[in-house]
Amino acid sequence: MLKEIANYLNQNVQGCEAKAIDEVEVGDGHVWVKAEHIYDVCVALAQENPFDFNVLQVISGVDYPEKDKIEVNYMLASFTRNTDFILKTDLPRGDGQTLPKIQSVCDVWIAANFQERECFDMLGVEFEGHPDHRRILCPDDWEGHPLRKDYVVQEKYRDMVVDPPEKVNSHDHFFYKELLTKHDQKSVSHSWKDEKESKEQTSAES
Amino acid sequence: MIDGVEKLKSELMTVNMGPQHPATHGVLRVELKTDSEVVAEAIPHLGYLHRCMEKHSENVDYRGVIPFVDRMDYLAAMNMELGYAMTIEKMLGTEVPKRAWYIRTIVAELQRVASHLMFFGTYALDLGAFSPFLYAFQDREKILRLFEEISGARLLYNYIWIGGVWNDINDDQLKRISAFCDEMEENMKKYNSLVGESSIFIGRTAHVAVMDQKTCLQHGATGPILRGSGFDWDLRKKQPYGIYKDLDFDVPVGTGEKGTLGDCWDRYDVRVREVFESLKILRQCLEGIEEGPIIGKVKKILKVPAGETYVRTECPRGELGYHLVSDGTDKPYRLKVKSSCFTHVSLLSAVGPGHLIADFVAAIGSIDIVLGEVDR
Repeated sequence: MLKEIANYLNQNVQGCEAKAIDEVEVGDGHVWVKAEHIYDVCVALAQENPFDFNVLQVISGVDYPEKDKIEVNYMLASFTRNTDFILKTDLPRGDGQTLPKIQSVCDVWIAANFQERECFDMLGVEFEGHPDHRRILCPDDWEGHPLRKDYVVQEKYRDMVVDPPEKVNSHDHFFYKELLTKHDQKSVSHSWKDEKESKEQTSAES
Repeated sequence: MIDGVEKLKSELMTVNMGPQHPATHGVLRVELKTDSEVVAEAIPHLGYLHRCMEKHSENVDYRGVIPFVDRMDYLAAMNMELGYAMTIEKMLGTEVPKRAWYIRTIVAELQRVASHLMFFGTYALDLGAFSPFLYAFQDREKILRLFEEISGARLLYNYIWIGGVWNDINDDQLKRISAFCDEMEENMKKYNSLVGESSIFIGRTAHVAVMDQKTCLQHGATGPILRGSGFDWDLRKKQPYGIYKDLDFDVPVGTGEKGTLGDCWDRYDVRVREVFESLKILRQCLEGIEEGPIIGKVKKILKVPAGETYVRTECPRGELGYHLVSDGTDKPYRLKVKSSCFTHVSLLSAVGPGHLIADFVAAIGSIDIVLGEVDR
């Protein structure tokens, strides 16, 4: 099905260079398109066509600092034909000052409104033409975009120290460190089983 | 929409509903622009319960994520776990034993009943009826007691593990679940005749906050909201996972019996009828459950091969999706949770305008939001 979608997109949207990646070892394949044409691609997918993708389920961004790109995944589904697929595009990450930009698809599916706001909040992707472009989960004056891999929490927010040392549960950190260093990671305690049973189990394992 | 609202337009006033307001079911803040008693604009503000679950799950191993997904939708933790376990199993190609699937289905459907009972109680409470809340909690308590016995916890279970479940159900517990099904069916009929047939309740919910099919699909709504608008869509039927393809049940859809198709009463009715369908599924599971192992073969240190996947399951509140990106290590590279409540909150600004503030409360309640899932 992915190949048919890619063919359909290549015919209908000039220069979107749709590629179907359907031979994957594990998980799902996807259709990749050029980021500049995302709006036209979505219009082509939503309008009358053999696939009829009438629902945008979620927009999920993934950050790849080594490859210097942010992937934006659009999970589309057709509730009339009972099909779904992942539409993928990627953008350069930006240089810290300017954010990557992509066209908003709010006109096509209203569901994109909240999803794009979340993607902007979490990954710092700007959506051009969004009717209400602001953060959604973090406060409006928060700094940085938390789901980027190189995100560092700001030290102060409105003169309040973020994560003050006296509020951090140091016992937990200490306990976890002890666990990692002293405890054999591969051993299983069988603590949930009866004493007798667990003894048999450990003797059988050794 | 009230007749003649247009003529009465006066100066708009801003009212903050929430973040601490009993009718918002948690810490949702809705900024209402009101024209006296009538809502002219409703803007939801989210994020008061944002706990960075997606960022946290990038720093723990695959098994360690399960308690986090519990805490997202704390009223339907079993269903959240089921979706997550299915995502990892799809990537690993793990075979889940038949008995494990039966147990999973039993706990998932019991959780669905518990979640819908919670809706039933709190929705009646929103509309001013106090006693249904107590009735609903009585029955929900029985389910929680059962879960406590099976999994060791009342609310956040960590029970469904990757490859199966962690603890077996014994015959005595199965018998009690069977007895609970009979009792629940009787009780739910009683409760429904008490609330759903009451003329005051119908007066408060019929014709209120109508969400038609087009609005629902445009906003990406799923679950009881989409079914309430008369659209037959249930993933358990359309893309059956686990043993659901062997089970016989119906998908209740809204009828518009008491008012307009897709109003608050339809959404309420769909949920009540879903409880009966869940009981039907439970009975079939109790009949068909077979002996065998309860967990499949999974390595102690889980390393998921590189790739990505998007898995959807049907939760009490709608469709739940997990987008997992793995880079071959023992931690998820990215785990995006598609929460149905997050999508449904956006419907408020679409249906809110033109309603009285009291009816807006009915609209919020009928969506059945859990703020833990909205903000994650």
